[in-house]
Amino acid sequence: MGETDRDLVLVVEDSDEDVEAIGRAIGRSHPQVRLEFLRSGAEVMPRLTAAGATLPGMVLLDLNMPGEGGLDVIKRIRAEPAVSALILVVFTSSEDQAEADACYAAGADSYIFKPINFALFRTVLHQTLDYWRSRG
Amino acid sequence: MVGVELGWAATLHRLWSSVTVITARDQLADLVLPPLLTEPGVLAVWGLRHDPAGGISAYRWAGLPLRQEDRAEAEKIAARELPVAPIGPELESLRAQGARQVLSARLDVPGAEAGSMLVVAGADADLPRLQACLAQIVDVTREAIRRLLAGRTEDEQQMRDALLAEASLQMDAVLDTTQTMHRAARMAVPAIAEGCLVYVLEDDKLLLRSAVHVDMRRLDTALANPAYAACLSDLASRAVAGNAERVHSGDTDSAGTRTIHPQLLRARGRVLGVLLFLFDRGDDRIPPPDFLRDLAYRAALAIDNGELYEQRRRDVVTMQQHLLPSRLPVVPGIAIAASYAVGDRVTEVGGDFYDVVTRTDGVVAALVGDVCGRGPEAAALTGMARHTLGTLLTEGVSPARALGRLNTGLRRDGSWRFVTAGVAMLRPAAKGLAVQWNSAGHPAPIVLRRGRSAQAARGGGIPLGVLPQATIGRSRLLLAPGDALLMFTDGLTEARDADGVMFDHAALWQALDRLRDAPVETLVHELSQASAIFGGAVADDIAVLAVRAEEHHDG
Repeated sequence: MGETDRDLVLVVEDSDEDVEAIGRAIGRSHPQVRLEFLRSGAEVMPRLTAAGATLPGMVLLDLNMPGEGGLDVIKRIRAEPAVSALILVVFTSSEDQAEADACYAAGADSYIFKPINFALFRTVLHQTLDYWRSRG
Repeated sequence: MVGVELGWAATLHRLWSSVTVITARDQLADLVLPPLLTEPGVLAVWGLRHDPAGGISAYRWAGLPLRQEDRAEAEKIAARELPVAPIGPELESLRAQGARQVLSARLDVPGAEAGSMLVVAGADADLPRLQACLAQIVDVTREAIRRLLAGRTEDEQQMRDALLAEASLQMDAVLDTTQTMHRAARMAVPAIAEGCLVYVLEDDKLLLRSAVHVDMRRLDTALANPAYAACLSDLASRAVAGNAERVHSGDTDSAGTRTIHPQLLRARGRVLGVLLFLFDRGDDRIPPPDFLRDLAYRAALAIDNGELYEQRRRDVVTMQQHLLPSRLPVVPGIAIAASYAVGDRVTEVGGDFYDVVTRTDGVVAALVGDVCGRGPEAAALTGMARHTLGTLLTEGVSPARALGRLNTGLRRDGSWRFVTAGVAMLRPAAKGLAVQWNSAGHPAPIVLRRGRSAQAARGGGIPLGVLPQATIGRSRLLLAPGDALLMFTDGLTEARDADGVMFDHAALWQALDRLRDAPVETLVHELSQASAIFGGAVADDIAVLAVRAEEHHDG
């Protein structure tokens, strides 16, 4: 396992629009943070467990993705000792409380709602990054 | 006076241009610190950001680094606010690298964290020139911070407007109060607070109904501490009593929270509970009280609407139950069951009814009907229709005459509402149960025969209340032992799926094949449920009444 880069955020998101919006929002609020995007849940474990891989300071996870969803990703990360300490933030438009409970039970650190309005979207990400980066 | 050559002027011009494009204070150091390094004799340029509590929230540098062991001395130099000071033995490592003096300048912008800039210079530096350059850099930096602050204020206003709009949208989308409370808390976190707790008054007791935090594990751990939970609950109680203010903990409390802001949930003059906003962030990042009050007001309205809706719905269900028979008669040889489901979104009493009555000669009349429309008038007509038909049929009046009398009554009252109704007269017969079906524009019943596919019987007739004379459709059929007759209102068959396909197009018949031989209680309940699942919810009221000729019926 490689070192952890606190200025690296791994974003797992299948929607083109959300990828663009997340890049724009964090690029503005945290210009020093580098973003790495994965477009499906299945890519996460190979990326994190590759020999010498640099680990991100945080993983920002969409919940509803085709194939391996965000909940599966959380379970797999928490089950792998080499990466189980990663900060996992679920960023989703789902309003289902049962999904939030399931994510926390699986080991998510945050379950954050994904707003429609960009100003709000940016603020939510800004505060989330501020919070976890201050504790990392 | 120091002359300013073109190189420095060009640098300043670039800095002033960049002021308009930076978006975060963290970008400032890379912009404003390096240019002074190009001046002769400058070894380092350091930046210190002061937090409101008197500490330093960020150290930045260009040139010689501001090492951990030198930071305390750098802070002292900044605190003295002397334009120029000699480098003392405390900074020996710098002296060893030729540093002899340090220039210092402080910058304050109201509403933002203050900063200090220190320029570490050697003996050969042109101090008057450096002081002039530093002053110019401070001007640029101050303007950049002022612009960032103005941008942030504007962004925050935009965000708050968006949050109120989105919160209203989210909360108005549900009528379930539990969901509303959770959504209110979830909308607030982490956009405006690190955590939000919703306490609701129920039977004069304040109960914690929702708790959301950006770090849920941290909040759960904190709430598991009875003393901390009691402290929050006490704050909420004091807010209800009207004597709670924002609480600042000197240090962070066990949940890491620096500030707790209680906000009353009040709508239509009624106190519903309290929101507790938990803040880790500094005071300058906490939204204004007016905004928190506005958000709480919208949440309270949504919760109150949900409670009113629930109350109204409970009233409707109760009243609907009173319009239906409290129990059905037990008749030897006939299994009877009925089900009534009130539409999910229904807030007014509907007009579906059913009843089963027995005549003194042993003939059984099973009736089902539907008054068009909803509301108090429809409910009154529903009660009247069921009692009229039930009473007349019990007294031995024929179904056609009973339906005719109801038609006359409706016409006499001048109601524009019409009623569809069906009456099945059930008589023991040699090989089962003889059924005479009388229909006034009502959906045809369905016959379920043992071992065969379900079949629609005949409907016919014209709804009551439409014509001066009732027109009744009549048909006869025989139920062999084990056969059943299913009567229902149109809510059952007209449920639609997302594509607009009706339940009776195919799904009804599949459900009947599955339930054909089930006990009548199971048949009516599961059929009603199948219709609701097919339609995604119970869109309209559904009344289902089933009678089955029992096996041991001996005629």
